[in-house]
Amino acid sequence: MPRRRAEHPRDEPRTQTRQQAAVADLGRRALAGMGLDELLGEAAETAARELGADRGAVLELTGDGRGVLVRAAHGFHEGLVGEALPAAPEEVPDLRIASALAAPIGEGRHQFGAIGVYTDVPRRFGDDDANFLQAVANVIGAGVERVRQDERVRGMRKSESDFRDLADTAPVMIWTTDERGLVTFVNEGWLSYTGTTLEEELGPSWSLGVHPDDAEEVLATWDEALAERRPWELEYRLRRSDGEYRWIVDRGMPRYERGRYAGYVGTAIDIHERKLMEGRLREVYEREHRIAETLQRSLLPERLPEIEGLDLAARYLPAGSGAAVGGDWYDALERPDGRVALVVGDVVGQGLRAAAIMGQLRNAFRAYGLVESSPAEVVARINRLVMTGEEEAMATLLYLVLDRETGEVAYTSAGHPPPLVLAPDGARFLEGGRSVPVGAAEPAVFRENTSVLPPGSSLLLYTDGLVERRDVPLERRLRELATAAAGGESDDLDQLCDHVLDRVLGPSEPGDDVALLAVRPKPVAAERISMALPADPQSLVGLRRRLGRFLHAAGASPIEAYEITLTVCEAAGNAIEHAYGPADATYEVHAAFEDGELVAEVRDRGSWRGRRGTYRGRGLKIIELLMDDVRVSTEHEGTVVRMRRRLAAAKAA
Amino acid sequence: MTTPSEIAVERRGGTVVAHLGGEVDMTNAAHVRDELLASIPNDALGLVLDLGECRYLDSAAIEVVFDMARRMRRRRQDLRLVVPLSSPLKRVLELTDVASAAPLYESLDSALEG
Repeated sequence: MPRRRAEHPRDEPRTQTRQQAAVADLGRRALAGMGLDELLGEAAETAARELGADRGAVLELTGDGRGVLVRAAHGFHEGLVGEALPAAPEEVPDLRIASALAAPIGEGRHQFGAIGVYTDVPRRFGDDDANFLQAVANVIGAGVERVRQDERVRGMRKSESDFRDLADTAPVMIWTTDERGLVTFVNEGWLSYTGTTLEEELGPSWSLGVHPDDAEEVLATWDEALAERRPWELEYRLRRSDGEYRWIVDRGMPRYERGRYAGYVGTAIDIHERKLMEGRLREVYEREHRIAETLQRSLLPERLPEIEGLDLAARYLPAGSGAAVGGDWYDALERPDGRVALVVGDVVGQGLRAAAIMGQLRNAFRAYGLVESSPAEVVARINRLVMTGEEEAMATLLYLVLDRETGEVAYTSAGHPPPLVLAPDGARFLEGGRSVPVGAAEPAVFRENTSVLPPGSSLLLYTDGLVERRDVPLERRLRELATAAAGGESDDLDQLCDHVLDRVLGPSEPGDDVALLAVRPKPVAAERISMALPADPQSLVGLRRRLGRFLHAAGASPIEAYEITLTVCEAAGNAIEHAYGPADATYEVHAAFEDGELVAEVRDRGSWRGRRGTYRGRGLKIIELLMDDVRVSTEHEGTVVRMRRRLAAAKAA
Repeated sequence: MTTPSEIAVERRGGTVVAHLGGEVDMTNAAHVRDELLASIPNDALGLVLDLGECRYLDSAAIEVVFDMARRMRRRRQDLRLVVPLSSPLKRVLELTDVASAAPLYESLDSALEG
């Protein structure tokens, strides 16, 4: 190391002037934008040189306040810059420093570090030396502060441009407002989406492209959120640059700057495809709902069968539009033994599947109901069918067989609510005959119970959609049903059904499907019947039923009832075959009891042509064989057959 | 409303047994006849027609019995009727001399034995 001090004796005034010039020069360069490392290097060298020291260094305090980082060095060995020293250099023995002078850079909390000058041989530094060094330190301090500020500014610029870059390249539309809700910024995404300019969007005009149908809701919800500084979110249609209105979801959050409310920042994205997909899904769902409902309706009897001697009315109410279609059904059929089988059922589950299962059960009812006379056996067979089926299915149902003539009923309830009898003396439920739902177990025991409907009774079968309500105990709902039905008794079963539905369900759409079937044996006029029937063989079944009930009521035995019915129908068959004229021709049947003797009359508008083959001849022969007296006469433009027969009971009497 | 009828067929050895339930009148007599004839294979000895569950037969139905007996006789097959004592049809079948074409039995067993 050269020993400058010895070679260059100090000249005080010149030295001071030169030192001031050096500080000024350093300061100028620091403020002119010299890099920090270069500034620190210059400072270390200048300080050492001007103070005639052997070495100089700029030291930065490390983050933890212990030890220093060498930021610049002059006269030290290479490689010291960048090193961390455990203490000030003069306290590091390896550096073999004899004397040191140091000045802090920055003050207090903002202290950056220090600048020091060092000598290899002991030396005393004076006040001037210290002042000069502090002046250099101050320049460095200013330089450091400037650089830090530049860094902050650059950092802010960078983050701001990063934000704008992000905002402008993000696939979202971004906006900000001031605290009054006036638009202060929309990103490039918004502008290119809407095809508007920033000038158009800024300020109060931000609902520019909102669909007219949505504008009111946008403004109302926005104003409300703004007033309470709440987050705002809405899906609405916005006009795209090509003129198409597309669905977007727009979300805004209040933003705060240094704890102070400063307006909103919001993002919006195009959800048009999703919205359309939702719409399509909804359509698909609604279509399935419609199909299931159509299927259900098509599986229900379009019209209840007309059954002689029985009034029937039914209602089917699908659940409210929000719910899926269930699998409720009802049906009625006339059995070969003359009794009527009735069923209402409710398939567990909803939608197409339930409707399809309902269709299968209905067919099973129609098949087994014809063959099996015992209700328990019909239900057992349906259960077996369901249990062996490929699809898992479960249903509750009420199956009942009614004898129109005697009012006797036999029934089985497979987990179904009890039928309601509206008798002239009051309403009561048909209890008993209760078993598990079909599809629940195999083998299962199905019980049946019997009862007799008093003359003039009506019977209501229904599914649980009518009575089940989550918040009300079933017992109470059943009582309400009984009360409503008793209060709605009417000759017209359709009116009764409407009354019951109205009273029990109220005006709202039911939460579950409701099926309701009302049945009433027609009262028998014991003294006489008088009917006009179409000249069609299909009319004969109804005629037989009517005669059967009439004769039963009059006390005829089964054999008498059959024989009398047969003769009247043979006469009617002749009337049908010989009726003249178009298809709407009719014939008449009158029957009455006169002093215990049946008098029956069949009138047509054709004329009998005597025997036509053995078959017709057999019909006439039957009439003659079975009746006590038969007279055929031609009156007006037709033929009248009058037949008389005394009943055995009357004969005995 | 259509006339309800039901036919269930079973084989008992060489004989076909048909249980005819419900009602047969001029509207469904031809159909019932065709069904019954179709249920008798050529190798069957004959048909036992069980009318135990039958509630109503009219002259057209009785004519079907005569007609079937005639056709089956040509095929060397035998037609027998089961009409229980309690059946309301019994007297009419007797009065119309159905037995001349197809003998009446009071039970299925006796018809199969006879």
